[in-house]
Amino acid sequence: MSLNTKKYFIKETYHSIKRNQLMSFASISTVALSLLVLGLFLMMVINANNLAGYLESQVQITVYMEDSAKGNTLTSAEKALKEMPGVVKVSSVTKSQALENFKKRLGDQKDLLEALGTENPFPYSFDVQVDNPQRIAQIVPGIEKIPGVETAKFGREVVEHMFQLTRILRIGGLVLVIFLAVATLFIISNTIRITVFARRREVSIMKYVGATNWFIRWPFLLEGMFMGFTGAVIASVFLVQIYLTLQNKIYTTLAFFPLLGSWPFLGYLTLFLIISGTLIGAAGSSISLRKFLDV
Amino acid sequence: MALLTMTGISKTYQSGATALRNIDIHIKPGEFVFVVGPSGAGKSTFIKLLFREIEPTTGKIFVDGVDVMSLKPNEIPYLRRQLGIIFQDYRLLNDRTVYENVAFAMEVIEAPTEKIKKRVPEVLELVGLRSRADNYPGELSGGEQQRVAIARAIVNDPLLVIADEPTGNLDPETSMEIMKIFSHINENGTTIIMATHDKTMVDFMQKRVIAIEDGYIVRDDLKGVYGYEPEH
Repeated sequence: MSLNTKKYFIKETYHSIKRNQLMSFASISTVALSLLVLGLFLMMVINANNLAGYLESQVQITVYMEDSAKGNTLTSAEKALKEMPGVVKVSSVTKSQALENFKKRLGDQKDLLEALGTENPFPYSFDVQVDNPQRIAQIVPGIEKIPGVETAKFGREVVEHMFQLTRILRIGGLVLVIFLAVATLFIISNTIRITVFARRREVSIMKYVGATNWFIRWPFLLEGMFMGFTGAVIASVFLVQIYLTLQNKIYTTLAFFPLLGSWPFLGYLTLFLIISGTLIGAAGSSISLRKFLDV
Repeated sequence: MALLTMTGISKTYQSGATALRNIDIHIKPGEFVFVVGPSGAGKSTFIKLLFREIEPTTGKIFVDGVDVMSLKPNEIPYLRRQLGIIFQDYRLLNDRTVYENVAFAMEVIEAPTEKIKKRVPEVLELVGLRSRADNYPGELSGGEQQRVAIARAIVNDPLLVIADEPTGNLDPETSMEIMKIFSHINENGTTIIMATHDKTMVDFMQKRVIAIEDGYIVRDDLKGVYGYEPEH
């Protein structure tokens, strides 16, 4: 493509946007709004995903030892646990530690324990952390075969509910994001359709004098890309502001909440929005041009 | 070698209407050919086949040795660059000046700027519109608009100029001026095929006349006449 032709395309794109100022403004605003909603959902979905990952990583297995297990049995059981595939951390909780922990948890009601007298009913246990929480259910039967192990518990129902919830969050988020992307595509293709329709006479004349389809397509593609890009930039500016404000609020009220840090998260998010906005713009114009190029 | 050859061309539309039946035509370079016939005789179909706006049901068309029907869709623009097409309704871009309308045909085929700047004024001079270069089509008379369309059609030096009723919207005096321009272009070596209802013009020019009736060629005379009563 010659420099001359490139200049022609840019000139044509500029004129087209200028000629249809109101329409272009409306389209850019609509695109910005849809991308903003898309961005907000992405923000929520990614954070929910992050939260789910965080919660998952908190899941651990508690291995209770038999009362009779002492000395060597405990040492070799700990060794066996550490050697199991997928296990990242094993920490032991002695009988007395377990009792202390329980006392702490009871708080003001620790008098209740007096009924036990000097007896300590808590077994010796190990807290086991694994690399992938989804594997817990497969690891547990192996643990229970280790000599001296009474039982291994991991709150099966809670964990399974949580996995179900995070799965719904991920799939639901993905569906929503795809839906919004398609809606944006539709908006841009409709806008371009209107501008192409307004210029169909010009397009047909171009065909008669021997313009190639690509020559006709470029200015419209650029126009769609421009609208997608500008809309995405506007959406990104708002999105960054919204996230920073929310982050401030959350940090002051819910300090423990594992919100993703603004950088590089926002950088990736805006980059993603700008690239997809531009691509959606290009795709939107291609869709609406197909029909008009059949002269 | 013929510039345009049609062999065994028939065209039946999806509606079932047959516009052309078994047409054979050979047109040599430099010829000036009128295509005449009553309304609905198949003239427009004939013209549209030349630049492959429509495709024949049967038969072959060769332009300058190229089999038009064998062209892939992305090759059609290159066929059209060899042709200059002129319509009854001028088909100008109303938001562009006379100069821009003509330059447009060169920009579209990606001609260098320098060439455009040199060639457009030359062509405008040829059609007598040099002084109107900065005017918009809306500020011009019908005859002037058609001259812009002619300038646009010939600016890329086509092998063949195809005109569909170019004087259909013009008064006799203006039509004569337009015909003089065509005559001049033809004298410079460009082949012209013109579908027309203009009896006076055809009789005056004494050029080759192909008459189509009901889809058939009924006459093909080297120095022909219109041969029908004027319809309007």
